[in-house]
Order: sequence, then structure tokens, then C-alpha cells
Amino acid sequence: MTLVWILIAVAAVLLLWAVLAYNSLVRLRNEAEQGWANIDVQLRRRADLIPNLVETVKGYATHERETFDEVTRARVALQQAQTPAEASVANAQATAATGKLIAVAEAYPELKASQNFLALQAELTDTEDKIAAARRYYNATVLRFNTKVQSFPTLLVARAGGFREKELFELDDAAAAQPVQVSI
Amino acid sequence: MTLQEQIRANRWRTLLLFVLFLGLFLLVGLAAAVRFGIDGLIIAGVVAIVYGVFSYFASGSMIAALAGAHPVTKEEAPELVRVVENVAIGAGLTRTPPVYIVDDPAPNAFAAGRDPNHAYVCVTSGLLQLMDKRELEGVVAHEIGHIRNRDVRLMSLATVMVGVIALLADFMIRMSIFGGGGRRRDNQNPLFMILAIVGLIIAPIAATLIQFALSRRREYLADEASAEITGDPEGLALALRKLDRDPQQLRHLNRATAHLYIEAPLNKADGLGGALSGLFDTHPSLESRIERLEQAGGFQLPPD
Repeated sequence: MTLVWILIAVAAVLLLWAVLAYNSLVRLRNEAEQGWANIDVQLRRRADLIPNLVETVKGYATHERETFDEVTRARVALQQAQTPAEASVANAQATAATGKLIAVAEAYPELKASQNFLALQAELTDTEDKIAAARRYYNATVLRFNTKVQSFPTLLVARAGGFREKELFELDDAAAAQPVQVSI
Repeated sequence: MTLQEQIRANRWRTLLLFVLFLGLFLLVGLAAAVRFGIDGLIIAGVVAIVYGVFSYFASGSMIAALAGAHPVTKEEAPELVRVVENVAIGAGLTRTPPVYIVDDPAPNAFAAGRDPNHAYVCVTSGLLQLMDKRELEGVVAHEIGHIRNRDVRLMSLATVMVGVIALLADFMIRMSIFGGGGRRRDNQNPLFMILAIVGLIIAPIAATLIQFALSRRREYLADEASAEITGDPEGLALALRKLDRDPQQLRHLNRATAHLYIEAPLNKADGLGGALSGLFDTHPSLESRIERLEQAGGFQLPPD
């Protein structure tokens, strides 16, 4: 009789532990998803800024077709990116392309001095800062989530509950890690 | 300590705080019962509850008013608001807290509000002038850290409860001295009377001590949070050193809000001094905070 009670008690403790572990996995997953949503918002904002930038530069510098095309391609990639891996590639591409576009602007004093251009530059820098901040938070939460999913004994609950490891939002190379220097 | 552990620890501390303050309330209530009979106890209880609930919900705006803070929009202070937005994103907050400014040349900052959804960040105009973007980020991240760690709620509660206890004790001491009194004075045992008065004097002091002890630990944790949010402990360390070297004192000095600031605003005044000063400190010293940041981040501030 006592044995039965002991077994019941052990089962109850195990169940309680499983419930707590499950809940903490759910919480971490939600945090990571929130983090991803933050990155997504900023990537979209960045994509929205690009046409304005191109239009503004076009008004002064008409012979930079190649650079314009590159920026436009980067924008499309940014909009089509679904997974963190795709998004990080597109993001690096956009950073490089807009950097080039802004470098082009250096050669046109009137463009550089225009209010519209300065405002766009500030917006872009701000978006890049925000992407960096959102990335830090996302990666930190994903790291915690993945550790939980991978480590014993939580991994048992994770397997049963269908929790999958998440991708980090990585920067492609050191150059892309640096925000574009938009010196005025 | 991870963030979740920290938040959980804060929940426990909030509960403990409640229990401690409840004890102090009982003390004050007992004093009221001894001095003014059961009517006194009931009146004291009703006043305490009404005042407590009201000031908990109004704590954010009350603190802003005490500090002389006014809200600013993104148009008015684009750089500052951007920094707050970025840090809020980095901290994973679901909303950017409103931004307030105190027009005061002394550099300082605080966060307040009853919970993360009603919290705001406030900096002085002196801080904006003194700090570069990186340092400002460190300071703002420290304040956002307070919000994310649920410190703001704990501190709002503490502020409110100290206020309630002080109000009640003050009221009853006056009544005792100026002899308003109740009609029922059956148990006029002088010993009880003395105990009651002593209790009334001790309660607010004890409440203040609890409040200060709570806020000292918070500062280290918020510094840690700041380093985690910005990934740049050195930025905050540089900012703290600038605060340390700045001799100016806040004009809106207020003991009730002192524990909220990033740097103790009262230390620069000729404080209580002597052996008691440690107990009444609202903050650990800036040097020890910088030291901890240096250890955590593995860097050394250059001597300048």
C-alpha cells in the first residue's frame, strides 16, 4: 500500500515538473517570437525607406543606374526574406547597397545639403541601430531557448511538446556588423 | 542571476515588503487602538486603504510632479527619444516607455510608474548636455533595466507605503500631543501610552530604512541589466564616472523620490552624516558600481 502511495507521489512530482518545464519553454518561445517580430518591423521600415532615398538621390545624381539597381534588388530581398538566415543576408546586402548610395551622394554637394536627404540619412541610421538592438535581444532569447531545448532533462519535454531550436539572426561578416558610417 | 530569476526574486521581495509593511501597519494600528480605541483603528484603516490605493495608481504622475518632470515628444527631443526606443527594443519591452525631462543642470535620471506598462523614463536636461550618445544609452538602459526587472513597481509600492505609514503616524502623534483624542479612554495605562507613541515614532523610520535597503541592491542589478541590454558596460561606466565628477545638485531635491535616481541625489548635500549614513544611503557608491562593471565587462576605464 505504501509503495502505491510513493509511486503516486513520484508521478505527481514528475508531472508538476513537466508542466513547469513546458510553461517555461512556451514563455521563452514567445519571447523569441516577440524578438523576431521586432526585427521584422525594423527590416520592413528599412525597406520602406529605400524608395524615398533612391528618389531623392535620383533628383541630383542621374548617372548612377547601377547603384540604384543594386539598392532596389536589396530592397526586394529584404521584403521577401522569410527566415532569420534569409533576412540576415538581405540585411547585410541592404547595408552594403545603401552605404554605396550614400557614398555616391558625397560627390553631390547640393544633395548632401538637402534637408530631405539629411532626414532620410538620420532615419536610416536610426533603423540600423534599431535592427542591431532588436538583434541583440532576439539572439539572447533564442540562445536561452535553444539551451533549454537541447539540455537534459528539459529536452524530453521539448521533444514531446514539439519545440524546435530556433535560428539566430547572424551578421554575415564583420563589415556588415559595423553600422554604415554616414558622415555628414 | 538570469532575468527570470531576478524578476521572480523581485516578486518575492515585493511580497516580503508587503509583509514587513503590514507589520508596521499593525504596529501603527495597535497604537491607534490603544490611544483612540476601536474607532481610531477603523478610521486609521480606512484612511490607509483609500490613500494607499489612490497613491498606488497615481504614483507615476505624483513622482513626476515631485521631480518637476514634463513629458517630451519625439519632435521635441528626437535624439533622446530615439535612444529610449532603441534601448526598449534591445530590452525586449513590448512598448517604448514615455520620455520625461526635468529642466535641471544637474545630470541625473530615473524611471517610475506602477508597472512596465505604465512606466516612464525621465532624464534631466543636464544629463543630455553632459553625456554623449553611448553614455546616454548606458544610463537609459539602466533605467529601462529598472522597468524590465519590475523594480519600478516595487519602488512605487515602497514609496506609497512609506507615505501611508508616515501620514498615519504623523497624524496620530499630532492628535496625541494636541489632545484631540477619542471619547473612549478606558485603558489609560501609561505604559501602553508610551509604547504607542514610541511605535508611532519608530514605524516611519523603519519604513524608510526598508525602502532604502531595497533600492541599494537594485542599482547593481540595473547596472548589470544595462550592460546586457546595450552590450556595452564601458559606456555606462564612463557615464557613471561623469556623474561622479559632476558637483551639481538637483534643484528639485526630495527625500521621497531620492531612491529612484541613477545617482543618489542627496549625497552631495550635507546629509545625515556620521555612523547612520550607511543605513540611510539610497545608493551604493559610484566607484563600487564602476568597479563591478569593469569586472563584469573585463575592461578598465582609462585614467584621464
